[in-house]
Amino acid sequence: MSSLLAAASFDVPTIEYGQLSPMLIIFGVAVLSLLVEAFAPRGSRRPIQLVLVFAGLAAAFAAVVMIRGTQHIAAMGSVAVDGPALFMQGAILVLAFIAALVMAERQVDPLGDAFAPRASALPGSTDEIAFTRLGWLQTEVWPLFLFSVGGMLLFPASADLLTMFVALEVVSLPLYIMAGLARRRRLLSQEAALKYFVLGAFSSAFFLYGTALFYGYAGSVDLSAISDALTANAGSMWLVITATGLVSVGLLFKIGAVPFHQWTPDVYQGSPTPVTGFMAACTKIAAFGALLRIMYVALGGIRWDWRPMMYVIAALTMIVGTLFALTQTDMKRMLAYSSIAQAGFMLVGVIATNQAGLSGTMVYLVAYGIATIGAFAIVTLVRDSTGEASHLSQWAGLGRKAPIVASAFALFLLAFAGIPLTSGFTGKFAVFTAGIAGGATPVVIIGLVASAVAAFFYVRVIVLMFFNEPTSDDGVSVVVPSGFTTLAITISVALTLVIGLVPQLILDLANQAGLFIR
Amino acid sequence: MNPTTPQYGDLALFGHDPLWLVILKALVLFIGLVLLTLFTTWFERRVVARMQQRVGPNRAGPFGLLVPLADGIKLALKEGITPANADKVVYLLAPMIAAAAAMLVFAVIPLGPVVSIFGVSTPLQLTDFSVSTLYILAIASIGIYGIVLAGWSSGSTYSLLGGLRSSAQMVSYEIAMGLSFVAVFLYAGSMSTSQIVAGQTDWWYAVLLLPSFVIYLISMVGETNRAPFDLPEAEGELVAGFHTEYSGLRWAMFFLAEYVNMINVSAVAITLFLGGWRAPAPISTVWSGANDGWWPILWFLGKILVMLFVFVWLRGTLPRLRYDQFMRFGWKVLIPISIVWILLVSAWRGIRNEYGTDLRTTLIWLGVILFAIAAIAFLLDLRRAPEDEVVEPTYDPYAGGYPVPPLPGQEFTYTRRAPQTVPATVVETSALESTGQELEGDRNE
Amino acid sequence: MSVLLATIEQSGSTGEQIVFWVCAAIAVVGAVGMLISRRAVHSALFIAATMIALAVLYVSQGAPFLGMAQIVVYTGAVMMLFLFVLMLVGVDSTESLVETLKGQRIAGLALALGFAVLLFAAIGNVSYNFAVGIDGANAADGGNVQGIAHLIFDRYLLAFEVTSALLITAALGAMVLAHRERHTPRKSQREQSEDRVRSGEPQNLPGPGVYALHNAVGTPGLLPDGQPTDRSVPEPLRGVSAAVGVDHEDTRRVNALAAGGAIIPGKAEDES
Repeated sequence: MSSLLAAASFDVPTIEYGQLSPMLIIFGVAVLSLLVEAFAPRGSRRPIQLVLVFAGLAAAFAAVVMIRGTQHIAAMGSVAVDGPALFMQGAILVLAFIAALVMAERQVDPLGDAFAPRASALPGSTDEIAFTRLGWLQTEVWPLFLFSVGGMLLFPASADLLTMFVALEVVSLPLYIMAGLARRRRLLSQEAALKYFVLGAFSSAFFLYGTALFYGYAGSVDLSAISDALTANAGSMWLVITATGLVSVGLLFKIGAVPFHQWTPDVYQGSPTPVTGFMAACTKIAAFGALLRIMYVALGGIRWDWRPMMYVIAALTMIVGTLFALTQTDMKRMLAYSSIAQAGFMLVGVIATNQAGLSGTMVYLVAYGIATIGAFAIVTLVRDSTGEASHLSQWAGLGRKAPIVASAFALFLLAFAGIPLTSGFTGKFAVFTAGIAGGATPVVIIGLVASAVAAFFYVRVIVLMFFNEPTSDDGVSVVVPSGFTTLAITISVALTLVIGLVPQLILDLANQAGLFIR
Repeated sequence: MNPTTPQYGDLALFGHDPLWLVILKALVLFIGLVLLTLFTTWFERRVVARMQQRVGPNRAGPFGLLVPLADGIKLALKEGITPANADKVVYLLAPMIAAAAAMLVFAVIPLGPVVSIFGVSTPLQLTDFSVSTLYILAIASIGIYGIVLAGWSSGSTYSLLGGLRSSAQMVSYEIAMGLSFVAVFLYAGSMSTSQIVAGQTDWWYAVLLLPSFVIYLISMVGETNRAPFDLPEAEGELVAGFHTEYSGLRWAMFFLAEYVNMINVSAVAITLFLGGWRAPAPISTVWSGANDGWWPILWFLGKILVMLFVFVWLRGTLPRLRYDQFMRFGWKVLIPISIVWILLVSAWRGIRNEYGTDLRTTLIWLGVILFAIAAIAFLLDLRRAPEDEVVEPTYDPYAGGYPVPPLPGQEFTYTRRAPQTVPATVVETSALESTGQELEGDRNE
Repeated sequence: MSVLLATIEQSGSTGEQIVFWVCAAIAVVGAVGMLISRRAVHSALFIAATMIALAVLYVSQGAPFLGMAQIVVYTGAVMMLFLFVLMLVGVDSTESLVETLKGQRIAGLALALGFAVLLFAAIGNVSYNFAVGIDGANAADGGNVQGIAHLIFDRYLLAFEVTSALLITAALGAMVLAHRERHTPRKSQREQSEDRVRSGEPQNLPGPGVYALHNAVGTPGLLPDGQPTDRSVPEPLRGVSAAVGVDHEDTRRVNALAAGGAIIPGKAEDES
């Protein structure tokens, strides 16, 4: 029979398990952690999960280090294991480790950790109160977290648009759920989750449509095949341009670039703060990795066609992010708009379309990610009786109440502002020089102006913390966290300072890694 | 036979019929299904009657065979009522969808091998293509729309509840049904019905893949809304479920759809698991010509009759399930078992393809694995602390001060007051009156 | 004539042409109908029709597996779940046409128009020599199903496997967001009955609306002495609707009945 003959002629696909090991480890641990949820007794779940998560992240990082220097397209052409991919994977793993430390904290909130005791109990219901009293924890966040990290490892390494789309969904779906799990202000959190989900699904559809058009143009979804088709100048340019636009919409949404940024403030504010930190840092790295790969590998040949569009988006993102951040009164919303502005600065590196732009963006991503997770970790510590005190006025005089925490926060803000001797300066310097070298001087000038304006509101918060009198009876205090958050903040401070003081370390690393395989 | 003519089981056989033959086949199928439906209604009533020690319809025609016809005329003459609340268009559309979808399935059911019709050599099957089994599933899923929309558009609560139940039920049971097909696909190496029948020349898949067959049998009853799974039209709870508001010919269309669907799922069961049109084992062993020419139609109809009898038998025997138990059974029993079974089948096929082991070696290994599992289970059981044996409390007929009956496992022991029960027959009238007076006296106190 | 022949040559046989024009019309009508229907169930029906029309197109183009999977998955499962949810949330609900954001409709229309123009321009500019069809691709692996299997399990194996992570996440997320766990062990039938007897009131709670003006569940029932009791009201409604809808006239009549008087409907005013 014909079918049996076909079955006999099937060759087993070659899967380079070694080169794929980082994501395989993470996915494997995620499944294990799911089994823990299914079979371990309730009391022992949290310790087992924590051991699994941290061991898994460390093992995956070790795997990345082991396969450094590889330049190979693995898994039958699905995954590009090359310098940028490995650099991003390493960065994502380190940042996910720090984010996991913050997520593991259960001392700052007297009721438990940052997540609702049971997400299925209605907010304010007697069930919820009963679950809180019993001290149950929603330990299912850990498998969700790991699946998301696994998707993030695949996202910037995908060598074809189909794999990239699946990775995009694997990144996003757990995040949609985790965004709705906050312990305090649950309605806000659920609203954030719903908004994120609806808009995220919408943007995924754009990505998919673009992929279909690319397939129509090149007859393949492989990035290298698209690049070849462009070189051969086959088919209709209209198709390519439209496809580029649609795919970019999907990615720019994840990045949070203007005009696809509207979800960012609401989602960042509503999500549990540790998740916000994770989302802000790691998703951005993964999405920028994917954007860089598409723009450089597949669409490098038509950069003169897409660069004007990116000019406008980068400029808009910087301007809108900065201006809106100025007007915010909520700390988490302010950080959200600041992250939009930062995305604009990073887009300058994408526009540069040279190797310096690639490595500069990667450095900026790492610097930004570390400072972001650290900043959001500190936001979890400033609390009053109802939870996190995120209104700006409640932060007045924090420098007197808790000088160390306030200083750390000030350091992160300075890094965001790009003040020399912090990591932010290293990143901005790398990106802007690459931008000038790539001929994007006008955008760089806009970026410099936006940085100056942004510095104003960062410094304003510092002034508020150190030079204003604390309001005496607002009940806001800085909680002493357990070792988890302390360690996370310490690592963030240390890395911010190291990248700022000895920038050559990471610049060299990024330069060595700055070569896409085609 | 001409060597260039494709053998049965090759899809190249199909798609060459002249137009008149296609129309002829379609017409015969349609009329055959309607006639079979008429017969089935009579058959069901007679069989159920026999099971309930009744006679059943026996007035119109010999053995009451004309009762379905009379029913049909009655329904055609009845008024078709359209409720004021109904969504008119959808209300009219729903029975058509249900009946049309039911009729479509038989297009891919093989009824026999290649025969000659008016000089044209053609297989006894309207058509076939590489995924015709999926086509059956697809048509079944369209047929659900008829029921769901009928429930929704009637504008009545009972109908809506029936429609809701039916959509949930059919979606759930279609998963189990589809999963039970997978093992057959793996064995036949094809999804076309004629190739699946061709693959059962030696062994029926009902024997080779018994768990799949059992799962299919159960889910097929759920899929057709028949007792004991007839929750969408449970008369005790929902009047008549989704077709509460329908009458006349529209109702007849639902009725037709239900019975044709019964025949459909029976035909699918026969095609996929019971050797299709092939003669059952003793006949084909004795008589080599049993599978040639027009004879297979006889075997096929015989098998259909047996399956229909099973349907009626189930209806006559089993009480209806509670809705939540029914859904739990589908999702927590049928689907997991299906998945595990497919895993086993594909692992076994994979091992056989990869290592070329024969049946004996595999069975030995299977035995070793089962033994190991049993041993581990035994060891675990030994390690487990012996459970405290539940001590049955001795029976106290006046527990808590009230007379109570014995629980299961407890012995009833005669107590002091037991023999004093007054035999009813010896009580005289005067005694009764006096007791009555005493009671009156009690009340007055 | 030769041009016409060439067109037919390019786009398949006459039968395929007929199928295309019929199904294309159904698909477009379904898509437009889905947009303009006021009732959600009608929208769902229209989109189901579109899906089936597309499936027929796939089959006629030599992709029977895709066509059938399209019907089973979209029409059979996805749209059926849609209908299910629609029926649960409200049978008669129609779309509200109130704009929550000012100018949203115009902005949406403008953007949709722009998007349509863009796509028309992009796809309309495509030129190709003649349709290849997928017969060659089907033949390469011995069939449509085998060809798809070859792609999934060879070239796109990783994407296929990673999809499992997506499915696990979806299942886990559904459990996290919707599965209600018990925080106290379920009471057995015996415990429930014992509790009931111990509570001193082994009988049923008073029914809602007994002797009251309305028989809605939110209306408290009246006790034999004519007093409303909110114990007859389900717990979530208690307090919200206490004493609302208690007809004091009924209370008076009940009291009269208890005192041995007769109730004559309509004559209550005369007596008092």
